[in-house]
Amino acid sequence: MALTGIEIYKYLPKTNCKKCNFPTCLAFAMKVAARVVDITACPDLSAQSKAALESAGRPPIRLVKFGGDTHKVEVGNETVMFRHEKTFYHPPAIMVRIKDTASKEDIAKLVDEVGGYQVERVGMKLTMDGFAVENASKDQARFLEAVETVLAKSGLAVALMSDNPATMDAAVAKAAARKPVVYAATKENWSGMADIAKKHSCPLVVRDSSGLENLVALSEKVAQAGIEDIILDPGVDSFKSSIDSLTEIRRLALKKNFRPLGFPVMTFPGVQAKTTEEEAALAAEQISKYSSVVVLEHFSPALAYPLLTLRLNIYTDPQKPIQMAAGIYEVGAPKPDSPLCITTNFSLTYFSVAGEIEASGVPSWLLICDTEGLSVLTAWAAGKFDAERIAKAVKQFNVADKISHKSIVLPGKVAVLRGELEEELSGWKVLVGPMEAMDVGGYFKKTWKP
Amino acid sequence: MSRYIATAAIRGAHKVVRQAEELYADALKTVGPDAKIQFKDKGGGGTAYWLPVIYGFTGQKVETIGDLKKSLEHAKGLLPPLPGEHVWLPYLGETLDAGMATLFAEEIIEGIRFAKGQQPETRNGFTFNGPINDVQMRGWGIQMVDGRMPGFAALLGAAKNNEVAVKIVRELQSKGQLVFLSSSSNGRSIVDQLLESGVQLGYDTFTVPFGTDTISTIYALGYASRATFSFGGVTPGDFRRVLLYNKFRCFAFALALGPMDDVKWATGAGAISYGFPAVCDTAVPNILPTGITQYEHVVSMPFDDIPGRDDMERAERLVQRCIEVRGIKIKIATIKIPVAYGPAFEGEVVRRADLQSEFGGKGGMCFEWLTTRPPEEVEDGKVTVVGPDIDKFEVGAKIPLGIVIEVSGRKMQKDFEPVLERQVHHFLNGAEGLQHQGQRDITWIRLSKNAYAKGFRLRHIGDILHGVYHNQFGAIVDKIQVTLYTEPKKVQELIEKARGIYKERNDRIAGLTDEAVDTYYSCSLCQSFAPTHICVINPERVGLCGAYSWLDCKASFEINPTGPNQPVKKGPCIDQTKGEWEGVNKFVYEHSQMKVDRFTVYSVMDSPMTTCGCCECVLALIPEANGFMVVSREDYSMTPSGMTFTTLMGTVGGGLQTPGMMGHGKYYITSKKFILTEGGIKRLVWLSKNLKEELGEELKAAAEAAGVPDLLDRIADGTSATTPDELVAFLQQKQHPALEMPPLL
Amino acid sequence: MAPLEAPVEKWTGKIRELKLGSGGRKTITVGGGTTLPFVKFEGAQPHRPAIAIEVQDKEPTDWSEFLVSAWGDALKNPGAWAKKAAEFGADLLYIRLASAHPEASNTGAAQAKKSASEVLSAVDLPVIFVGPDVAEKDNEVLVAVSDVAKGQRVGLGNCVEKNYKTIAATCMADGHVAIAKTPIEINLAKQLNILLSDVGLSPDSILMDPTTGALGYGLEYTYSVMERLRLAALMGDGMTSMPMICTAGEESWRQKESKATLDVPQAWGDNQERSLIWENVTAISLLAAGADILVLRHPKTVVTVKAALDKSF
Repeated sequence: MALTGIEIYKYLPKTNCKKCNFPTCLAFAMKVAARVVDITACPDLSAQSKAALESAGRPPIRLVKFGGDTHKVEVGNETVMFRHEKTFYHPPAIMVRIKDTASKEDIAKLVDEVGGYQVERVGMKLTMDGFAVENASKDQARFLEAVETVLAKSGLAVALMSDNPATMDAAVAKAAARKPVVYAATKENWSGMADIAKKHSCPLVVRDSSGLENLVALSEKVAQAGIEDIILDPGVDSFKSSIDSLTEIRRLALKKNFRPLGFPVMTFPGVQAKTTEEEAALAAEQISKYSSVVVLEHFSPALAYPLLTLRLNIYTDPQKPIQMAAGIYEVGAPKPDSPLCITTNFSLTYFSVAGEIEASGVPSWLLICDTEGLSVLTAWAAGKFDAERIAKAVKQFNVADKISHKSIVLPGKVAVLRGELEEELSGWKVLVGPMEAMDVGGYFKKTWKP
Repeated sequence: MSRYIATAAIRGAHKVVRQAEELYADALKTVGPDAKIQFKDKGGGGTAYWLPVIYGFTGQKVETIGDLKKSLEHAKGLLPPLPGEHVWLPYLGETLDAGMATLFAEEIIEGIRFAKGQQPETRNGFTFNGPINDVQMRGWGIQMVDGRMPGFAALLGAAKNNEVAVKIVRELQSKGQLVFLSSSSNGRSIVDQLLESGVQLGYDTFTVPFGTDTISTIYALGYASRATFSFGGVTPGDFRRVLLYNKFRCFAFALALGPMDDVKWATGAGAISYGFPAVCDTAVPNILPTGITQYEHVVSMPFDDIPGRDDMERAERLVQRCIEVRGIKIKIATIKIPVAYGPAFEGEVVRRADLQSEFGGKGGMCFEWLTTRPPEEVEDGKVTVVGPDIDKFEVGAKIPLGIVIEVSGRKMQKDFEPVLERQVHHFLNGAEGLQHQGQRDITWIRLSKNAYAKGFRLRHIGDILHGVYHNQFGAIVDKIQVTLYTEPKKVQELIEKARGIYKERNDRIAGLTDEAVDTYYSCSLCQSFAPTHICVINPERVGLCGAYSWLDCKASFEINPTGPNQPVKKGPCIDQTKGEWEGVNKFVYEHSQMKVDRFTVYSVMDSPMTTCGCCECVLALIPEANGFMVVSREDYSMTPSGMTFTTLMGTVGGGLQTPGMMGHGKYYITSKKFILTEGGIKRLVWLSKNLKEELGEELKAAAEAAGVPDLLDRIADGTSATTPDELVAFLQQKQHPALEMPPLL
Repeated sequence: MAPLEAPVEKWTGKIRELKLGSGGRKTITVGGGTTLPFVKFEGAQPHRPAIAIEVQDKEPTDWSEFLVSAWGDALKNPGAWAKKAAEFGADLLYIRLASAHPEASNTGAAQAKKSASEVLSAVDLPVIFVGPDVAEKDNEVLVAVSDVAKGQRVGLGNCVEKNYKTIAATCMADGHVAIAKTPIEINLAKQLNILLSDVGLSPDSILMDPTTGALGYGLEYTYSVMERLRLAALMGDGMTSMPMICTAGEESWRQKESKATLDVPQAWGDNQERSLIWENVTAISLLAAGADILVLRHPKTVVTVKAALDKSF
C-alpha cells in the first residue's frame, strides 16, 4: 500500500533544510508520495525511517539514465498503467541499430543522418536519441572501429551490443564518457557483463526471450551482483506478445511492487518486419504500450517524423495540454483581404479551428491568444480569454499590418465579449463566428463580410 | 373511479362485443370462414401486422374470418359482468378489461367489414382513409421517436360548430400533433364539419379521417400498437410492453366532442390502458390520476364554461388543456420579435448615443422576479404590459420597469425560481440591440434606437422569455406568462414585494443545511481532465470550482436527467463529524473508476474529497503551525507550505485523494461545515490576501460564530509570512488559537 | 524459482458484441472482449478488430495524389469503388454520403438511395453508411438509406446529440446499427449511449465513434478517452461497453503531413512513405487503445494493419 504524503512526512526530519531541493519537508514528502522523487534524496533520514520507507519511498520502476553531456537520456520511473491516470513521465528513447558489418562509409553516413535529424513540431524540436551499435561481425576490432565512428560523428547516446564480455569491456571503455547501455546480460554471460557495467557505472540490459520467469531470474542475479540500473529485454519482436508481455511486466512492477521487473524495457520492433511500414506499426504499438527504449532497424525521416510525433502525443501530460505559441498563423495562403479569426492556444482548439479553416478552402489568418492552454469556454470562464487579452494579442502581433480590413471573427461561444472588445479595439469591427469549429466553412461562405 | 363512467363503459363493451358476435356469425354464413381479412387504407397501402391490436395483445395472426373465433372468445373472456343497480362498487380493473374487450371487438368488426368489402367507409362521395398503412406509420413513427411530432390526438364526435372544429384542428397542427378523426355526435361528425369548411384531409395534412362511427377509432390504437413493434422492439403478444411503450413514448390523447355514449366510454376505457387520457368538452365526471395514464385519466371541460372571450379562445384553451393533461412539451421554433436573436448579440453594448430607452441603472428602478403559480393561473404565452410602452417616452428616457415572470410546471419547484431567474440576463442579451446587466432589483437594461426603429417594444421582452424558457427549461416549466410594469407606483409596490422574496430566498439558502436534505448531487464535468475525480456537492459545500451550488445541480438534473449532475443518496451516516455516508461512498467508488472507495465531506486529514483541476482554492496542512493554509487561484506567490498554488495544484489535482490537502470553492471557508473534523475555521492560519478582502464580511461572521471575533487579524497572509518559520512567529505573536488546539499529526 | 503469478485484473464487465450484416449479406461481429486490447493473460478477445475501407458517393476533390493513384477510376463510382475495396481486403465498408453536404452537391434522399443501392448490390460485405455530418442532412439521407437497406443490418451514422433520435428511430424500424459520435469526451459518449437507449434502441445496436484525432492532431485525446471507455466497460459500466469505431484514415489523410507535396520540410522525408506511415501509426495506436473497427483509406495501410492483426491473434 502506498503511503500518503502526510504519512511520509512523519518519518522526515522536519527541519525544512532544503537539502533535497524542496523548500519544505512537506513539499518533498508530497513528491515522494507521488512516486516521482526517491526518498534517498533526503540525506538526513534516520536508519529507522529509511527501513520503514523502503518500499513506499522508492519509485516502482527505476529511473535509468544513460548518454553523455551532449544528449542525456532518462527512461523508466513511470507510475501509472494509463496516461490518463496521471501522465507518462519519460518518453522512450528512439535509437537506430548500426551493425559493424556495414562499411565505414555507410556507418558514417547513417550516423550523420540520424545524428543530424531534427524536426519541428508545435514549437518543439524533436530528435532521435542514439545508436545501438552491434558487434554483428563478432570481430572486436571491427566493432571498436564502428563504435569510434559513431562516437566521433555524433553526440547522441549509444547502446553497445555484444555477447562477448571481453569485446564489450573494450567498447565500453572507449565509450565510457557517453555512459553507454551495455547490451546484454544473458543467462550465459551475465556475470561478466555485470562486472563491466559495474566497473563503468553503466546501465545493463538483461535479455531473455524464453519467458518472464527466466527474465526475472536473470534480473535478480544481476541485481544481487550490485547492478542498480537495469533495462529489461523480454525479446518481444512481434505483435504476437508485445502488449501482453509488456503489460504483464508493468503491472507486476506497479501493482505488486515486484522489484525484479521494476525497470524500463527495451524492444526491437523491426527485427521481423518485412517492410518499413511493418516496422513503423510495431514501433507505434510499443511507443504506445510500455517500451522505454525502441531500437529501429532502419532510419528514414519519413519513419522518424511520425514516430517522434507519436511519442510526443502519448507522453504529453494529459492535465497540462500542449499549448500553441501565441501569434498570428497563416492557414492556407491568406491575403490581406482574407478573414481573420481568433481562438485560444489550447492545441486541440487550434487544430480543430485550423483544420476546419483548411478544409473550408478559404485561406485565413488565425490569431492565437495565450490562454495558458485552456479551450475557449474554459479560458473565458477563467478570465484568460477576455477582451483585454485579445486586444493585446491583436496589437502585440501587429495584426493590422497584415490585413486590409479591420474585422476580427470571435468564436461564437464568447459572443459576449463583442461589446467589450469593440471598446478595446477602437475602429475594429468584431464579428461573431459560429459556435463550433466545424461550421467555420459555412460561416465563411454565407455570413462573413469584413 | 367514477361509477357512472365504469357502468357506461361496461355497458358499451357488452354492446360492442355482442355486435361483433352477431357480425361474426353472419360472416361465417355470408363470406365463409376462409374469407381473407386484410387491412388496407383507401390508397391500397396495407400492413404486415394483421389486426394489430389483437396481434399485439395475443400474438395471434388473424388472416381469415375463421381466425376471428379465437379473438372473439378472448374478448368475451375479458368482459366483466354487467353491474347491478345498487350494490356494485366501481372497480378500475374491470373497467379496463371492458375497454380491452371493446377494442378487440371493434377490431373484429372492422376485420369483418374488410372481408365484406365495406371498408374504408364511403359517405356522400367522400372516402375515409381507413387504417394507416405501414409506410406512413414508419415515416410518422420516426418523427414521433425523434420528437418532431409529439403524438396524436384522436378527435371523436363533432365540435360545437364548424369554426370551432377548424380552430381545434389548426391548434393541434400548430403544436405538431397528428390528428385522427372518427365517430359522431348527434349524427354529425367532425369530418363533416371540416369538409364543409374546406379543410383538406389526408396524410399530407396530418389529418386522418377514419370513419363516422366510434368503432373506426380502433385504427388509432392499431397505429399505436404497430409503432411499438417497429420502434419499441416489442414482441407481439407482450401486451404489457405494448401498453407501457405507448404510455411513456407516444403522446396521444382523445378529445371527445359532444355528448358521450356507452360505446365512446367503452372505447375510451380501452385507450386509457394505452396511457391515453381523454378530455371531454361536455360535463362528465373527472377521473384523477391513478397511474394508468401519466396524469388525469378523464378531464371534463364543458365547452361553454371554458373562460374566454369567444369560442375561438375557448377552443384554444381546450387544446392547451389536452396538451397539459398528456404532458406534452412545447418547443418554440422561432422567437417572433422584430430584431435578430442569437448568441452573436450577447456581448453587444448599447452606448449612450444609440440609446432609445433605459431601465434601471443609476437612479433608475428595474427588477425581475420569477415566481411559480398554479397551472390555472398561468396562460401560456400571455404577455401583458401594464403602463405606458416605450413609444410614450422620449428618446433616452429612464423608464421604471418590473419584469414579472409567472411559470407553472408539474416539475417546477420553488427552489428552482432563482436558478431560472438568473437566466434572464443571458436570455435577454441574445436580442439585437438589447443590453442586460445585473439581476434581481439591480437589473439594468438598455435598448438601442435601432432596435426601437425596427419595432421592438416591451412585449417582446416577454416573447423572448416565453420562447427561450420553453426551449431550455421545458423539462421543468410547462407554461410561462410575462407581465411588464412601467407604471411607477406599481413598479415601486412590486419591487418592495420582490425584495421580500429575494430576502426569503437568501434566508432559505442560508438555512439550507446538509442535514435538511437526504440527497446530494454529483458533478462529473471535470472527468475529461481528471478521470477519477467526482464532485459531491451538498448544500453547505459548493462545488470546488465555485460555479455549482447544490440548488444549481438539482435544477440541472431535472433539466438533463442523464447529464453531469446526478443525485447521490446520502444513505446511512457513518460519521457525522467527518461527514461520511454509505451512499456517498458507494457513489464515489462507482464513479471514480473504483479508485476512491471512501471520502469524507468535512475532513481534510482523513480521506478528503478528490480535486480536479479547476478548484478556486487549495487548502494545505502546515505541520509547523498545527493548522491549515488556503491559497487562491489568483495568488501566484509563495506560500508557507513551500509550494505555490500551481505546485499545490499539481500535487492535489487530477482526481487524487491527498490527505492533508484538497481543493475547494471559496465559499466553503465560510461554511459551518468547513473542515469540521479538524476544528473548523479556527484552524485557518494563513489565507491569500485577496480572499481575506473578498470574503471579509462573511469571514468575520464565521469567525464570530466560531467564538473568535478577531480571528481574521490573527490569520497570516502573503504579506506577513511566506515560510513556516515566519508563519509560526506571526501566529505566536498573535496568539492564534490553532497553536493551542490538539496536534494534527 | 516459483512461477510468476500473472497480475490478472478481475474485470466484471465485457465489451458488447455487435453484429453487422444480415439478410443475405455477409456478417461480421466485433467486440466481446473481456480484457484490455491484446492483453491475453487475463481474458479473451473473441473477435479481432475489423478493417473498414472508406468509400464516398462522389469523387473526392481534395484527396492526396497517393490515394487517387491507388484507387484510380474507381473513385468515380461508388459501386466500382466498393468492389475494389472488397478486393483490397476490407472486412466491411464505410460509405460516406459526401454528395449530400450542402457545400458539396447538396443531394438528397433520392441520390442517397441510388448510391446505397449501387453499393449494396456491388458487394456482399457488411456496410456502414454515414451522412455528410450535417445533422439535418444526415437525417434526410440516412432515413432514405435505411429504407433501402432494410433487414440488412447496416450501420447508420453519425448520431450526434442534435439528431440522434431520428437515426435511432430509423435503426429501430429497419433493424440497423447506430453510430454514436461524440467529441472526444467520455461522459458525452456515455450520455449519448444512454440517450439512444432511452429512445428504445438496444445497446447492442450501438457503435461508438469517440471522434478520432490523427497523429499529431489530438491523437492523445482520443487515445485516452478510448482507454477510459474500455476500462469503464470492463469495470462493469454497460453504457460505455459498446464497441468503438475510429476514422483513422479520414483524419490522418486530411492533415498537411499527408496532403502536402510542395514546400515540404526536408525533415518530413518522402511524401508517400510519410503519408502511409501517418495513417498506419494513427491506426495502430488506436488499436492499442481499444478500437474495434478501423476505417482506413489507403490499400497499403489495410495490408499493413491486417498483417499486424494476423500476428496478434
